[in-house]
Amino acid sequence: MTIKEKGYTHWDGELKEGKFPWRPITRWGIKLTFKKKFFKLLFFTSLVPALVYLAGIYISERLEDFRFMIKGPTEFIQTNPAYFKSYFTNDFLLFMMVMILVFCGAGLISDDLKYNSLQLYFSRPLKKKDYFFGKAFVIVFFLFIVTLIPGLVLFFMKLIFSGSLKFFVSYPWLLISIIGYSFLVTGFFSFYALFLSSLSKNRRYVAIFIFGLYIFSDILFGIFYGIFRNQYFALLSIKSNLQQVGSFIFNQKTPYDFSWFYSFLILFFICVLAGLVLKKKVRGVEIVK
Amino acid sequence: MSFEVRDLHFSYGKVKALDGVSLDLSQGAIGLLGPNGAGKSTLLRILLGFLSPEKGEGKVLGYNIKNQQPMIRRFVGYLPEDDCFIPGMDAVSFTSYLGELSGMPHQEAMKRAHEVLFYVGLEESRYRVVETYSGGMKQRLKLAQAIIHDPKLIFLDEPTSGLDPQGRKEILELILDISSKKDIQVLISSHILVDIEATCSYVVILNKGKVAAQGGMSDLKEIKYSLYEIKIKGETKEFLQRLKIMKCKIEETEDGILRVYLPPGQNTQEIFRIAAEQGIQIRHFIKSQTSLEDLFAKAVGVD
Repeated sequence: MTIKEKGYTHWDGELKEGKFPWRPITRWGIKLTFKKKFFKLLFFTSLVPALVYLAGIYISERLEDFRFMIKGPTEFIQTNPAYFKSYFTNDFLLFMMVMILVFCGAGLISDDLKYNSLQLYFSRPLKKKDYFFGKAFVIVFFLFIVTLIPGLVLFFMKLIFSGSLKFFVSYPWLLISIIGYSFLVTGFFSFYALFLSSLSKNRRYVAIFIFGLYIFSDILFGIFYGIFRNQYFALLSIKSNLQQVGSFIFNQKTPYDFSWFYSFLILFFICVLAGLVLKKKVRGVEIVK
Repeated sequence: MSFEVRDLHFSYGKVKALDGVSLDLSQGAIGLLGPNGAGKSTLLRILLGFLSPEKGEGKVLGYNIKNQQPMIRRFVGYLPEDDCFIPGMDAVSFTSYLGELSGMPHQEAMKRAHEVLFYVGLEESRYRVVETYSGGMKQRLKLAQAIIHDPKLIFLDEPTSGLDPQGRKEILELILDISSKKDIQVLISSHILVDIEATCSYVVILNKGKVAAQGGMSDLKEIKYSLYEIKIKGETKEFLQRLKIMKCKIEETEDGILRVYLPPGQNTQEIFRIAAEQGIQIRHFIKSQTSLEDLFAKAVGVD
């Protein structure tokens, strides 16, 4: 007898409240992102800096093997906190992170607004925080792969290549810096992308916002700095603020002559603003019409 | 008991959306009717736990509407009026995804998604991306996602809107199957009175935030009206005048049939007597079933 002939059949399972009800949202968000054209290419390109820095660590530890290639001083690659800081705050990596946001973050909420799917989510036993966690962890997944994971791999490869714990003993706080900065940059970009994604029903506009705001803020800093020669204008730039805080976290000299805390406050303010807007925007459409 | 609400009040600013609504509904398919602004959507929002009433209380499936909303949503299925889907997903993924969000295990949700998609007639196209679906297919898909987790109560908001006659008939058949043969209660909010008449055994009519009428479909029709359809030959003017003196309400249809509402206490013999006195032939005289349209019009106070 076919299902149609049988009519409606009951399900004999039991509905359960899981510990992480947002997990299906994240899983499907990741799956759908990988389906996007060119995303895989872009994502693997964003891992190029990690490979280059890994090669750097290998070369620095096996310098004698590469002596024939080096004409200058042998200390040209020093694996120290500055090396890690330069990996995490280099322009290319930050740019690639923004490009990842363009692909994986732009449609996260805007598609739900466009296709009225919020009411599907909220007619389920999901809380608003579950929805946000589910969406944010899509971004966290991709950004951790280019920040936290390579950072930890670089750190442990350094220990393996050097064959001793000397590096760890010299910089015991470095592991915390790697984890701390990865969380900071990922957390900030998660708020940033979700906030912009909630502002429009058109994911293309959101993609332009995500990319444009990042670039525009840096251009604005460049223009004002060019005119007034005042480094405080770096506070206008998202990239500069991340680099400023990153330098502090890795215990390095900050690139601009003002406290890292100002930059941190700017980033924090953007996150708070994003949180407030998200709460308002998603609440406004979650209700059954 | 599926749901009961007592003395519900809710306002949007100064506009009263619900004004002392009390309902106690327990079985079968229930039709929720009312003109725009009557409070149907607000009632649905409150029953789903999206809004908290300003005054009054209620329970859905035994769960309090004020503090047990997640439990209500776990055991209630909801078919929204608007087109809504998640781009990039095929129907199986979409349905199982929403099953998982309701609390089903991944594998079970996937298995059940196939079953419900077969049930709603989307077996052939279940691997197609949902953006490519026609309006009718999307409506079926919405029904599939509403029943994936085998809810005890289903809210259907305009389930047949935008469907062609065949699609409408098929969806109504599915709703009837769900509501009549299984122990699932269905609440249908619709503007299409014929659909409500075809599927529901109980009707609630809301008007201006209040319950204007409620009861079993047959009871409501039986008690309120005595409607007769009459076709006559002869001079009608005087005949109609006499009927109006009897306080009958008369409507004339385009095909010349008189719909006569006989007031309580009047006998049909009186109509025949007047006809005989006026020399009029009555060629057709049947007791008409009062349509839901009549009931609705009377309840909300329009002709």
